[in-house]
Amino acid sequence: MRLLSRLPERWGNAPFAIVATVALMLLAGIGIILQNEAAYRELQEQQTRVQAEILSAGVAAALDFGDAEAARQSVQAVQVNPQVRSVGVYGRDGKLVAGYGRGGVDPPPRYTDPLPDARGPITQAVPVLIGGERIGTVVLAADPEPLSRRLSRYLVIGLLTLMAVLVVAVLGLAQAVLRRANRQLEERAEALVRANAELKVQVGERNKAEDQLRQAHKMQALGQLTGGIAHDFNNLLTVIQGSADMLRRSGLEEAKRIRFAEAVVQASSKAAALTGQLLAFARRQPLQPEVIDVNALIEGMTDLLDRTLGERIAISTDLTEGACMVEADRAQLESALLNIAVNARDAMPDGGTLAIVTAAHDDQERGPMIALAVSDSGSGMDEDTLNRAFEPFFTTKMTGKGTGLGLSQVYGFASQSGGDVRIASVVGMGTTVTVLLPCSGATYEADAGEEVGRPMPGRPGCILLVEDNDEVGEFAEHLLVELGHRVRRVRSGEQALRLAETEPFDAVFTDVVMPGMSGLELASRLAALKPDLPIILTTGYSDEIAKSGAGGRPVLLKPYRPETLAAAIDQVLRPGSGAAK
Amino acid sequence: MSGNRHLLALAALATVLAAAPARAQLTEEQVKAAFLPRFARYVGWPAASQPTPGSAFQLCVIGRDPFGRMIEQAAASESIDGRGVQVRRLPSAAGAAACHLAFVQGTAPADTGRLLLALRRFPVLTVTDGRAGPQRGMIHFTIVSGRVRFFIDEAEASERGLSISSRLLALAAGVRQRR
Repeated sequence: MRLLSRLPERWGNAPFAIVATVALMLLAGIGIILQNEAAYRELQEQQTRVQAEILSAGVAAALDFGDAEAARQSVQAVQVNPQVRSVGVYGRDGKLVAGYGRGGVDPPPRYTDPLPDARGPITQAVPVLIGGERIGTVVLAADPEPLSRRLSRYLVIGLLTLMAVLVVAVLGLAQAVLRRANRQLEERAEALVRANAELKVQVGERNKAEDQLRQAHKMQALGQLTGGIAHDFNNLLTVIQGSADMLRRSGLEEAKRIRFAEAVVQASSKAAALTGQLLAFARRQPLQPEVIDVNALIEGMTDLLDRTLGERIAISTDLTEGACMVEADRAQLESALLNIAVNARDAMPDGGTLAIVTAAHDDQERGPMIALAVSDSGSGMDEDTLNRAFEPFFTTKMTGKGTGLGLSQVYGFASQSGGDVRIASVVGMGTTVTVLLPCSGATYEADAGEEVGRPMPGRPGCILLVEDNDEVGEFAEHLLVELGHRVRRVRSGEQALRLAETEPFDAVFTDVVMPGMSGLELASRLAALKPDLPIILTTGYSDEIAKSGAGGRPVLLKPYRPETLAAAIDQVLRPGSGAAK
Repeated sequence: MSGNRHLLALAALATVLAAAPARAQLTEEQVKAAFLPRFARYVGWPAASQPTPGSAFQLCVIGRDPFGRMIEQAAASESIDGRGVQVRRLPSAAGAAACHLAFVQGTAPADTGRLLLALRRFPVLTVTDGRAGPQRGMIHFTIVSGRVRFFIDEAEASERGLSISSRLLALAAGVRQRR
């Protein structure tokens, strides 16, 4: 690693070093060629002279004895060399004894001193000596190596030099390119790191801002919600409190007493409906889903809708044949339909048409669904109203005319049932609210066994009442005693469990939300202890039940009326009915 | 100075003589006579038989003499390491001990053989002529394609302690090589 990191430093002067190396190599190459060329002719002259001397020694005896034939043989030996252009062996008298010429250049018939010629063939004249006496001359003319061959030899040197230069240059270039690429890469990496850090900061800031915004929205919504609840409840409480105060007065006429009591009951049931709708919007309503034929439900509701909407509004239905079944809470679905219808009515003060249409709808994500569309021919909504339509306590109606929870309930119910709500509106043309509910694979069973007439009054029994709230507990105890049952009241699940171990009971009526052991836990413990002991659960709102259900046990929702409590108790105490079903 | 001039005159004469065969068609005898003194240049004698410094090589014509004055003329132009060549004529092998070269020719071939046999006692380069008979000395003249050539019996020369230059051997028409 260290070596690698040091490498760029070492090659820091690379361009200079490369240029210097290349220049040196080129100079060396040129130097070699020049020196070669200078030495060449001298060398060639020496070679030619040596050859002439050898020939001179060889032909000495032949000349001595005038043996031209022998001289010719010696000349023939020399002419093997292709560079030798001409050879002449001259006798003592200067006449040619033996000779040889190549390429049309014959040796002159008489001996003449060769003239120095730098360009022509290299000519060397050597005397033939016998015992120190000159008996003749050998003249040998050799062609210098052809320029082309010399050039080709230099070309090899040149090529080698060039190749070395190229290699060095390529290496140097590659190194330079690599360094530049490295530098760019580093710069980019640094820029990336900077950008990343900046992005992180921005994301953090944005998250913070979003959190703040969300919190503000939440607080705003919460304020609106609590304000709305407080407003509506205060109205109802005014009625309840005032009526109760009047009831406490002595000597009240019977008719007035009944009217005030009725007022209390009506205000209370309105308050109960209000909390019910709140829970529905919050999707915390304990739903009791059943398989519903939506078309049948709508047909069953037309009378009710007719009465609710009044004579000036005509109702038309277009129900798709063979629409699928849905699995939903019947009461909630009815309530949703009613809420939409009431809104439609209020949007058509001068009358109009309400169209209810069902159609099959295939959702890409959620599979086959049924679309229940309710359209009116009323005033419609502008965009701002449309956007806020599902907000709880948002209403365009006059104060006291609406709760602002109608569409909220629709929205909460549809969402909780795995469906959706869509709303479309054109100002002056009308509004269409479409409820989408997922199809159920279950088959519809008509309520064939619907009980005819009043249910049989149940037998009196011994009831274990579990309730941590003293007021509610006292009220429930009074109610049960009034209904003719014997009651043992305890304040916690633990107490109930202990009592149930020792005493026999006909039924258990328990609150769900309690400190310590919850009603659901108590129910499962009791079921293990006494499987035949019927258990009825009651709650105003239970997270647990809303999430995971009541395990098939009957649930009585608070606030409950005496009749509903009586019916629930009678149901489980009726002989032949399943214990905890 | 006068000696030098004399030498110059001699050299000029020698040049004329040597050039003579090339200029005009020489007779066979003239060529052979010119060859004889020249052989001395290509032969080495045992140290004991070398002519003493300043003295000349002895070229002996033993028996019949076919050359006459021609041989004197040829010998006059010859100078080997500063030594001249002196021509002597001997009737027989007697007195041939001082000879370095000997042209041997008897009156008849058998006579030539006898002379050669007698000379075998001395380190003498014997030369014979093919026209005179089949008996051969160390160098034996012959005629090839109208030109004078010679055979060399190197083996015989070697036995007598003589060495013959390879340059001369190269000119020979044939060589009996020493073993």
